[in-house]
Amino acid sequence: MPLSVSLSIEGDTTVIELAGELDAKTAPDFHQTIEKAAGHGTSTVEIRMAGVGYMASAGLRSLVFAQQKVADHVTIKVVGAIEPVSRTIRTAGLDRSIVLSDD
Amino acid sequence: MDEAVKTAGTSAELEVPATMGALGDIAALVLRLATRAGLDKGAAYRIRLAVDELATNTVMHGYRGGDGRITVRGRSGPGRVQISIEDSAPAFDPSRGRLPPDPGTAPERRRIGGLGIHLALTSVDEFGYVRRDGRNISTLTVMAEGTDPCPPRP
Repeated sequence: MPLSVSLSIEGDTTVIELAGELDAKTAPDFHQTIEKAAGHGTSTVEIRMAGVGYMASAGLRSLVFAQQKVADHVTIKVVGAIEPVSRTIRTAGLDRSIVLSDD
Repeated sequence: MDEAVKTAGTSAELEVPATMGALGDIAALVLRLATRAGLDKGAAYRIRLAVDELATNTVMHGYRGGDGRITVRGRSGPGRVQISIEDSAPAFDPSRGRLPPDPGTAPERRRIGGLGIHLALTSVDEFGYVRRDGRNISTLTVMAEGTDPCPPRP
């Protein structure tokens, strides 16, 4: 299943909304959007993942890439991830540096 | 192999080229077997993730982007799915290639390679590996009543 990626700005937050499946095949699309988002200079990058039904380790790499691209003071939030996706993020220990939020 | 699985289960086999484009076919097979076995969504997700990670690893690192084939054999029985993944890439035992997250290193500074294998091995209830006739054979089992070793959401 393909991944759809959209990018918008809401106040001081850059919003990336994902829907579909985030895996080794589709993660490059997410990477491109992260690069654009990092250039916006907002204080928060919010990644809305409620529409992501599946995420493999390639998605984790994308989240690490996002952490590397944004400035130190920028908060990265992952919002609305379904439980197995959030489990994958926790298994990698990324929940210690990325804010995981239900909504 | 569990006798109940042999007699009551159904099996399937798929051979695909080792390409990213083939991963969807592998996932479809795994999910079909998971449904037949009566696995719930969480268990079905775990077996799909584990097989996907190992197959992706074979495509990207096993054959190093070159030509190759991956054979997936699956068996579903009441409450369990067992999948074997075979390739003829250089010998690689995933249980020796895993890289658990290092709590002492900030995530953004961590080496991320090996994490996919760690995810795969923590997603299944049983894992086995053999090298036979020049082929890597990994066997993964997820049970409906299995234990998810990942700590629950805090």
